[in-house]
Parts: sequence; structure tokens; C-alpha cells
Amino acid sequence: MTRVSFDRSLYQGPCVDEAVKTFSAHASFQLTEEPKAWVVQLDAKTPELERQIAGELGNYALGLTIRTRGSRTP
Amino acid sequence: MSEPFKNPLVSTDLSKGSVLLEVDAAVYPLEALYGASYVFIDRAFVFLEKPNEQRYRVTISPKKPGADEAALQALVGEFSNELLSCAWRAQITQANRAVIEAVTLRAVAGAMGPPSLSELANFDFTDAPLEDPLGIAMSWEEKYKKKDKKPDAPVAAAPEKTAAPEKT
Repeated sequence: MTRVSFDRSLYQGPCVDEAVKTFSAHASFQLTEEPKAWVVQLDAKTPELERQIAGELGNYALGLTIRTRGSRTP
Repeated sequence: MSEPFKNPLVSTDLSKGSVLLEVDAAVYPLEALYGASYVFIDRAFVFLEKPNEQRYRVTISPKKPGADEAALQALVGEFSNELLSCAWRAQITQANRAVIEAVTLRAVAGAMGPPSLSELANFDFTDAPLEDPLGIAMSWEEKYKKKDKKPDAPVAAAPEKTAAPEKT
């Protein structure tokens, strides 16, 4: 199991949710909230696949956050 | 051969195939960090953390596993350069924001062109353009026009022309 903790000040919650939905077919996910972070735990078939999915999940959430912020900024 | 440049803010983890970079939040704004990260997400896994208010922590892992120390150092070096570039661009944008907005506004207004006759014909001029309690925007004609005489009011007889006083 891999645990990824997304800092709330750096990642937007809806973007993390969207990323999890996007990759939900490739692994099983469990989402929890902490005071300062959105926490995602994921299980995949192999450790290598798990590393790859966790990395892509992080990139996807980061990319969405950046694009959402960009469209919001005046 | 000289020793490779060692940065205390950079640490590599060969077992995980990742490199970790500590970024000073006072020097690099978050927008710059986002910009540099966005450039790298097509070839590396980029993960951001904020261990405290003064620092960001960036973890970069090449998508292809098995990167050696030199490859990781090169990757973090490129990221640092991109980060610096983004920070500088962010500062230039911030400094020139007013100029950029003015030029953009003028360009858009110019592209729209002058209003057509039909647009002018349909324009509602009855709206009060602004509040003017002191009557500053009032036209000369409105302000000093002669009052209409009331038709019912008795008309004073015109004084008869008096004779000019005789000269003594």
C-alpha cells in the first residue's frame, strides 16, 4: 500500500478527487482527510505499478490544481 | 577531476530513484513553483510538500526507473533553472501588470472599432450617466435657460417712454 499526502495549501481537494476518479480503474483507493492534507492510500497489483500510479496521480492532481488556479486568478 | 557541485538543499535517493529539493518560499513564489512543476510533469513525477511556512519541498522522480546519481542531479538542476526562470517571469509580470492591462484594454477597445449608426440609434441616452448633485455636468443651456413665462400671470404694462430731462 502506498500513502500519498497532498498538502491542502498546495493541492485543491476537488482536483485530488478528480485525479482519484481518473485512476480508479487501475488501483483501489481510499481517501481520508487530515487537518492539513488530503490523504490517498492506494493498492495496485505490483509495487512498480503502485509507484507509477501514485506518481501519475500526483501529477494529475498537481496539473489540475495549476490549471484551476490559473483560470481563477484575475 | 573536480568534485560535483553539492547543494545542501538537494538530496538524492537512489533506492527510490528520486531527488528532493528544498525551496525557499521567500525567494520563489508559489506561482513560480507551480510553473516549473508543470513543465516537468510530462517526463517526471513531481510532488510538492510544505514542511513549514518558509520552505517548499519538491520531490522529482523520473518516470523511467533506474536513474543514476548523475541523471538525478541533472534533472534537479534543470528544475532549478526552470524555477528561477519562472520566478523572474512572475516578478516581471507583477511589475508590468498595470502596463499590460492598459495595453490590452486599448487593443481590445481598438479591435471593437467605433460604434455603428444602428448601435448609436439603439443606444439608450435616457439613462442618467452619473449622479450629479452639484449640477456640474449640467449643460449651459439647461443651467441658464430662461424660465418660461406663465400665461396667466398679469403682464405688467410697459412703462411709457418718458421725455428726456431738459437740459438746464
